[in-house]
Amino acid sequence: MQADAAEAALAYVMETAPVLALTLDAQLHVVAVNEMARSVLPEGTEGSLLAELVVDFSNSMDFTWLTAQRGSSHRLTIKTASGLPETYHFRFFPLAGGTLALGGMDFQEQALMHSEVLGLNRELNNLARSLHQANAELLELNQLKNQFLGMAAHDLRNPLGIIMIYDGFVLDGAGDTLSAEHRCYLEKIQTAARRMQQIIDDFLDVSMIESGNLRLELVPASVVEIVGDILPICQLAAEKKKVALLVDATNDRRRLPVDAPKLQQVLLNLVRNAVEYSLAGQRVWLSSQWDDRSLVFAVRDEGPGIAQEEQGRLFAAFGRANTRKTAKERSVGLGLAIAQKIVKAHGGRLWVESTPGAGAAFFAALPSKKLDEMLEGKCQ
Amino acid sequence: MNEKSYRRYLNALIAGDQRQCQEIFEAWFAANPDLCHLYDGLVQRSLYEVGVLWERNQISVATEHLATAISEGLMNLIYPRLFKLPRVGKSAVVACSANEYHQIGGKMVADIFEANGWRGYFLGASTSPQELLGLIQGKCPDVVALSVAVHANLDAVLSLAETVRGAFADLPILVGGQAFLLGGRERAEQIAGVHYLASLAELEAWVIRHAG
Repeated sequence: MQADAAEAALAYVMETAPVLALTLDAQLHVVAVNEMARSVLPEGTEGSLLAELVVDFSNSMDFTWLTAQRGSSHRLTIKTASGLPETYHFRFFPLAGGTLALGGMDFQEQALMHSEVLGLNRELNNLARSLHQANAELLELNQLKNQFLGMAAHDLRNPLGIIMIYDGFVLDGAGDTLSAEHRCYLEKIQTAARRMQQIIDDFLDVSMIESGNLRLELVPASVVEIVGDILPICQLAAEKKKVALLVDATNDRRRLPVDAPKLQQVLLNLVRNAVEYSLAGQRVWLSSQWDDRSLVFAVRDEGPGIAQEEQGRLFAAFGRANTRKTAKERSVGLGLAIAQKIVKAHGGRLWVESTPGAGAAFFAALPSKKLDEMLEGKCQ
Repeated sequence: MNEKSYRRYLNALIAGDQRQCQEIFEAWFAANPDLCHLYDGLVQRSLYEVGVLWERNQISVATEHLATAISEGLMNLIYPRLFKLPRVGKSAVVACSANEYHQIGGKMVADIFEANGWRGYFLGASTSPQELLGLIQGKCPDVVALSVAVHANLDAVLSLAETVRGAFADLPILVGGQAFLLGGRERAEQIAGVHYLASLAELEAWVIRHAG
């Protein structure tokens, strides 16, 4: 009966038990392994040395001594078929002409890992929930911010308009009754009010765009029509800075469905920026070109250029480059963000190419096919 | 959705077949986009059944843990829609007691608040009193809900309710969870301002009643 029981126990160890069983010859080569060892250890374990299976970073283990220790357990980390080492508690038993090595799993480590994985999974799920919740709250706050921005800008516009009108009346009607000093003060009020009006308009634009209320009114227009309307303003800005504005976009009569006033806002912003970053005597180019798929407007300057790391944040709201404008003109950094939204709403792309010290070039590409489809109502 | 699809879901859950569970979960929600119905009829029911199978040694603890992990992962699929629902301007803080690692019930409670336009802030498993009081201080919720799954944690959750009561005298406290199936309701309701809710449906009714 005892022999039968021993045989049954050995069969259990060799076939089913969650224990690594390896028989080793006198030189500690692996002679045979059980089912569990076959599934865990790397392929072709039989014939290799025990030392080749064990992870021994210090290369100092004495396997002959180790396998001669009877009755004590040794924690060994072994290489596995999955490539991820696993730790087992080994005991060594003498066999005729060799050794039987039995490795039991480190249940403490397993339990620890199990608990860690469960904890991490819980944490991950909670983080996913918190992230969705925080995102929803941020969207709500952003919506409130846009509403506030829109309302504040709208309410500021009227009193500012009154200031500008009455300031203009005094300037126009006072004639010689104003001293040079007082005329200068009134002109400064007029300049500051115009600047403020621009900021308020930008805020209104941002509020409208971010609320998803940017609606394009697409009407076929040519480059001549688009550029022609804004050219006098661009030239005035350039003349004030003694910058030469060179325009190569006035002979193109091919038509493309665009929201011309909004596109003009984009081009005006790009030209004004180019002028503001240029020194007297430098040149700014405004040009347009058709390729297979798009109409591409380009605005180039000879200014200080924009560092690579700053180019990415140029189109974000309030994201300005560190470069100073040449006449210290001020801006809140919304112009390019608005311009990009308008170009994107046209299905197009706005981007910059620049090398510091060698000027900058801004491109606005408008896809002709997509805009034709948008006009026909095939896509939004 | 019928009993047959529930059985298919339960079998897939026990087999660890996340993909099939997801298909049934999504079909269930598409057929009736009522979160309480989904949680009550599919998620909670299946997990209670998994728990019973484990208690009877018919499945291993690993299978039970995998079923919980799959269920929680599926709940994440609802979140992109859940948090975008219109708000009623009220909020709840939901927590489990210290040493309570069965958090899925608490999370379902927080989600029921969200589904009804409340903000449901969930603190996760095993919440310390300090964490809970800190969040209440920060979020100024309209109600606190405490979830307990294991009966052995009942004392801890009642002690947590008393701590909240001590710090915030007028704040309503809701308690519930699987642990109360073995008793404890009377003890809970002896604490001033504590209400026991027996199911997600009862919770939803409470949330709707107090939305105004």
